[in-house]
Amino acid sequence: MKLLEVFFAQNFRNISGNHIYFAGIENDLIYQHRFFIENMQQFKSLDYVKNSYNKRICQIAEERKTGKKIIGTLCLFVPDEIIFAAGADRVILCGGKNDTISIAEQYLPRNICPLVKSSFGSIVNNGCSGVKSCSHFSMVDMIVAENTCDSKKKMYELLGDYVSTYVLDLPQNPDNPEAIKYFLRELEKFKGVMEQLTGNRVTVEKLKKEIESSNETRQLIHKLYDLRKVDPPLVSGLDVLKIMQKQYFLSPAELKRSARMLIEEAEQVKMDLGHKPRIMISGCPMAGGNTKVPEIIENRGGVIVVEESCTGTRSFWDLVDENKDPMIALAERYLKIPCSCMTPNDRRINNILELVREFKVDGVVYYTLQFCHGYNIEKYKVQQALKKAGIPMLAIETDYGDSDIEQIGLRVDAFMEMLS
Amino acid sequence: MISMGIDSGSATTKAVLVNNGQIISRIVLPTAFDFLTAAENAYNKVLVDAGVNKKDVNGVYATGYGRNSIKFADKAVSEITAHAIGVYYLYPEVNRVIDIGGQDSKVISVNNGKVTDFLMNDKCAAGTGKFLEYTSRALEVPIDEFGPLALTSKKAAGITSMCTVFAESEAISLRARGFKKEDIAAGLIESVARRVAVMVRQVGLKQNVAFVGGVAKNTGIKVALEKELNISLFVPPDPQVTGALGAALYSIS
Repeated sequence: MKLLEVFFAQNFRNISGNHIYFAGIENDLIYQHRFFIENMQQFKSLDYVKNSYNKRICQIAEERKTGKKIIGTLCLFVPDEIIFAAGADRVILCGGKNDTISIAEQYLPRNICPLVKSSFGSIVNNGCSGVKSCSHFSMVDMIVAENTCDSKKKMYELLGDYVSTYVLDLPQNPDNPEAIKYFLRELEKFKGVMEQLTGNRVTVEKLKKEIESSNETRQLIHKLYDLRKVDPPLVSGLDVLKIMQKQYFLSPAELKRSARMLIEEAEQVKMDLGHKPRIMISGCPMAGGNTKVPEIIENRGGVIVVEESCTGTRSFWDLVDENKDPMIALAERYLKIPCSCMTPNDRRINNILELVREFKVDGVVYYTLQFCHGYNIEKYKVQQALKKAGIPMLAIETDYGDSDIEQIGLRVDAFMEMLS
Repeated sequence: MISMGIDSGSATTKAVLVNNGQIISRIVLPTAFDFLTAAENAYNKVLVDAGVNKKDVNGVYATGYGRNSIKFADKAVSEITAHAIGVYYLYPEVNRVIDIGGQDSKVISVNNGKVTDFLMNDKCAAGTGKFLEYTSRALEVPIDEFGPLALTSKKAAGITSMCTVFAESEAISLRARGFKKEDIAAGLIESVARRVAVMVRQVGLKQNVAFVGGVAKNTGIKVALEKELNISLFVPPDPQVTGALGAALYSIS
C-alpha cells in the first residue's frame, strides 16, 4: 500500500499540479479492518469495490489528458444520461467526511447540514491546508448543481467562485402540471450547456443508448436489493452501502461489474446472517465516508434490509421509459424522485409504506443529518403514517462527528430489544 | 433464584439484588471515573449487606451508560428496557415512564412491561440532572435543598433559556436584579418540567405516568411536572434504583 501511495502521489502531482491526498485508500483500510473484526466480511467481490478508488482516479486523470470533460455532481436530480451522451464523465462530490467541515466553516455558517459543509470544504480545500480531501474533488471541469434545499442553493452561489458551476433549476411542486414542462425546458438547457462544454452533439441515439445503459444499472441494483427481501437477507446493509456509496463515483461499467460480482457471490455463498430485526433506514443520504449509523445498527443486532434514501432506493427505483422521446422520458423519471425539497411530498410516504411491505421491515430508523430541515420536518408525517401501519420508528438526528456514538448506540440497543 | 442488576450511570452506580422476585438489598454509590470499579464495589457491597455468597447469584445483568464496560455481567440491557421492567414490577398499571438521570432524560411508552416507543433528549443537558446541578450552583444552594426551596416560591421567575450555560447566566442576572432565591429556583425547575413535558406529549400523554431516575428525588420537579401535565405521577420510594431493579428482573421478564 505504501509503495502504491508514493507511486500515485508522484504521478498525480504532475497531472494536476497539486498535492493529492489519499483519503480514499486510508478510508478503505479502516473499512477493511473494522469489518474483518466486527462483520467477518467474507465477500471477496467487495474487495474489488473497496480497491476501486485509485483505479477510478487513474481513469479520470487519463480521460482529462485526452480532453474529456469531467462533471462533478451532488444530487440524484442531475441526469447522468445527458452527461454521458455528451461524451463527458461524471463523479459525485458529496462529502461524507468530518475533516473538511472546519474548512467550510470559514465560509459557511455552522448551522447548516454536515453534507453541505463537508462537500464545500472538500471542493475548496485543494489539498493545501493539511486537511485531507479525496483526490477526485479537484479533478472536475464543471460542477452541475441543482436547486434542491436552501443550504445547497446558497452554497452553490459561493462555490461558483472556485469552480465553474452550472445550476439546474427544479420545479418544487412536482404535482403541478406545468412542472414537467418547465423541467423539460431546464433539461434541454442543460443539454445545451453540456454540448457547448464538450463540443459534442447530444443526439437522440446517444441518449437512448445511455438510457438503456442506466436502466441496466438500475435493474442490477434492483436485483441486489432482491437478495435482501428474503429472511434472513443474503447480504448485509453495510455491504450494500459500500456499492451504493460508489454508485455515482465509479464509471457505469465498473459499477455494473461490482454489482454483478456481489450478486453472483451472495447467491453462491448464501451467507447466514441469522434472524435479526429487519431495519429500514429512511431519510438523508449517506455520502461516502459516512457509515456511522448503519455500523451501529448492524453491530448491535439489527440487519438493514432497505434504505429509503439517496444512497438507497431513491437513486434507482424508477426506470426511464425507453419507448418515449428520451428527453421527455428523462424529465418524467427524474421528477419522480421523492426528495424532501418537493412539496407536497406524499409520494415519499407512500413509497416508504410500500417498501416496508416489500422488504418485510420490522422497524424503521429515521435517519437525519442535523439542520436538514426538509427531512427533519417530514419526520412527523412519516412517523404518523408508520404508527398507523403498526411499524415502530426510531428517529436519529446526527452529524459526522463521533461524539454521539454511545448515545445513538443506547437508542439502537433499546430499539432492537423492543423489536425482538 | 437470585439475580443482580447493576445500573452503571454517569453520576451514580446502582445495584439491586433480587431473590425470587423480591428485592433483598440495594445500594447507590458515586460512579467516579471508572465504571467497572464502581460496579464491582456496588456488587460486593450489596452481597455483603444481604449476606449472600457470590456463587449463589444466578445471573448479573448490567444496564446504564457503562453497561458494556461491566465485564463480569452475563448480559447488558439498555436502561430503557430496564426502566420499563422495573416500573412494571412496581406499578403494573403504568404506561408512561419519565426517567430523568444525570445526563439524559427519557420518556418511555410501556405496555405490560414491554417498551412500545421511547424518546430521549438530544445531545444536550437541557432537562437533565446536570441542568439542575449547574443552576443550583449559580444560586449557591445544595442540590438536595433545591427542590424544597423552589416549593416555597409564590411566583416563579421566568427562565426562557433551555441551554444549561445560558440558564445559569440568566439565573445570575435575575439574582443581580434582586429576584428572590426561591423564585429563581422555581423558575429553573419549571423550565426543566416544560422541556420534559414536551417529550411526554410527543410520545403521547397517558393517565398513569411514573417518574423515576435520580432527579425524581427532587420534589420540586415532581410538583412542577404534575402541574405542567395536569396529572399525579407515580414516584417509587427509591426512584434511583428502578433501572437496576429492572435489570435484575430481566431474566424473569
